Amino acid sequence: MSDEKVPKKFKDELSKSIAGGEVAAAEEVTRKAISEGVDPLALIQEVIVPTLTEVGRRFSELEIFLPELMAAGQAGNACSEVVEGALLQSGEDMQSRGSIVLGTVNGDIHDIGKNIVSSLFQAHGYKVVDVGKDVSAADFIDAAEKNKADIIGASALMSITRAGCREVADLLRELGLEEKYHFIIGGGSTDQNYANEIGADGYAETAAGAVELANSLLGE
Amino acid sequence: MFMTDRLLEIYQRSRGGEFMKEVEYDLKLSRRVQELIQEYEITYDPGLVCPSDDAMADRVFEAGLQLLVDVGAYHLDTQRVMKFSKAEVLDALRQAPDSIRLGEGRDMVVAKHRGVEDPNPPLNLTGPAGQACSEEYYLPNLISYAQEPYVHAIESGATLTFNGYDIMAGTLMEVMAVQRDAATAREAVRRVGKPGMHIGDAATGMTAVGKMAASEPRNGLRPCDGRLVAQMCELKTDDDQLNRVPHLLNYGSHIINLMTPLTGGVGGGPRGVAIVSVAETLFGVMAYHATYHYLSITHIKRANNSDPWGMYVLSMAGQAMSRNSHIVWTDDPFCVSGPVTDELLYEVAGHAMLGSVCGYTQHGVGATGGFEPDHHSGLEAGFQGEVGIAATRSGITREKANEIALALLEKYADTFDEPKRGKPFQEAYDVKSVKPTQEWQDCYRRVKEELTALGLEFTEGPWD
Repeated sequence: MSDEKVPKKFKDELSKSIAGGEVAAAEEVTRKAISEGVDPLALIQEVIVPTLTEVGRRFSELEIFLPELMAAGQAGNACSEVVEGALLQSGEDMQSRGSIVLGTVNGDIHDIGKNIVSSLFQAHGYKVVDVGKDVSAADFIDAAEKNKADIIGASALMSITRAGCREVADLLRELGLEEKYHFIIGGGSTDQNYANEIGADGYAETAAGAVELANSLLGE
Repeated sequence: MFMTDRLLEIYQRSRGGEFMKEVEYDLKLSRRVQELIQEYEITYDPGLVCPSDDAMADRVFEAGLQLLVDVGAYHLDTQRVMKFSKAEVLDALRQAPDSIRLGEGRDMVVAKHRGVEDPNPPLNLTGPAGQACSEEYYLPNLISYAQEPYVHAIESGATLTFNGYDIMAGTLMEVMAVQRDAATAREAVRRVGKPGMHIGDAATGMTAVGKMAASEPRNGLRPCDGRLVAQMCELKTDDDQLNRVPHLLNYGSHIINLMTPLTGGVGGGPRGVAIVSVAETLFGVMAYHATYHYLSITHIKRANNSDPWGMYVLSMAGQAMSRNSHIVWTDDPFCVSGPVTDELLYEVAGHAMLGSVCGYTQHGVGATGGFEPDHHSGLEAGFQGEVGIAATRSGITREKANEIALALLEKYADTFDEPKRGKPFQEAYDVKSVKPTQEWQDCYRRVKEELTALGLEFTEGPWD
């Protein structure tokens, strides 16, 4: 007998609507499943995360393109919000693998890479607090404090903006928070040498590598 | 529409256009691109990276025009969509220049609109193409480009530090670094006896303030030089980019519309990105008053354009704009491999030949996908110019270009997953004499021989 808690009809329908980026349909199936007694957490574990993981895999192989990844991410987020709402009503809390604050650093408005990283983190069950682009060091840290994050991830595409990564690292040390958060960097203008130089906890060249790095930092 | 009226219209529409979240705009653009591919019957075959289908080239142009008219361009600060009518876009296109003077004095060159299979060779406006550069090697690195006989203008790189300190955008460090780098470029062209050579940008400047800091006629960039005004992917701008336009118009300088459409990005695959490339060019004509355009097709994972998708976008968008406009359009090869590898030169050669045949003037070169600092040199840039000339001398047609490009692709396709990053400039050259090492010269000669066997007729080059 299967250990799976989500009936096949919901599983197939929800997976299809998330992968297809159909936000309204995905929300509706999620609500219907919950109203018929399906465990909300099982929807996350058995459907939403595996579907987004598969979408992420297909994107990394370029079987699908960025818009499909974005649309699936939006649908997945919408479902997660429905689940979160249901859990809050029942007094439970949604478990995530970890929480990460993501943004591009001060002066850098190039956020496509950061958005891909965000989608992959969500696909792997992380709670992502996306602080957007052109984010100051103080705002990164404020968001981490406010959301009780585990990791701060900063992206810099341009060589002239990568100093923003150093500003985050320096401010974390200045505030005595360097042990509280794992600070990781990425983006075209950064590399492992730069991460070492500024005292970051890690660097990843690819979006998939960022997830692996986070897993490793959180001891998985 | 008068020039100042058009600037005012751009401003008004950036404030009064439809409010839309960025992700909604992206998805709307993406959906419309996919519809246009079907409506205009745009086809792609990986075995035909350079189609010879004039009617399809015209349809790519029409689809790109329709895309801009239908979805407009996005203003990132106000989150509003700027829409334009077809008549407005075509009016602006008619007003765009068909030939431009770059540089001054005896070093001035005239870049003209080029046709498909144009017998006139392309100019080669080249340099580090915005790639990361160490400040200690920046001058000899730029000299390595400027000294090449088949280089007609230099672009610039982005230096990583100022006196050893990180450069922070939007601060006095950016302004000082831009002033230094513009003066370094000026010194590089003076050192090689070409003091009036066109300098394409001051790439360390990322903000409008930084870019404008380069405007200084004695030691910095002159009106005969240029500055990039960029679009963000896809079809996006912001106030910081737009602020450069009235300054550069007032300074009398060249405005270069930089586009970096992503293959695998919001435009989707190669057919969609060809359409997006046309739309972005037209937006650059409309909003930036560009004197010339710079298409830098970028693979979403590898940041190159030497793959079949990149080649197809280059070929189709180039033919579309060449046949349906009179503008001056440039493209750059972005490659996965680096200096002192044969593979970098194969990648450059394929791109240079396709670009030359499909109506472009040359720009670039990007090596290692831009990932490795200092991994770029004048040799591959001069080589690009030689290939462009050889393609016209040899009467290379689109069919022949397709055949040679695919033959070259076979030689480097396996490096996409394991790129040969090669050596940095300071190991590829003697930095005092600014001469390539024997090893790098050997690569050049070897690849030229192979290209000759494939049908390209070269003249004597500097490292033969």
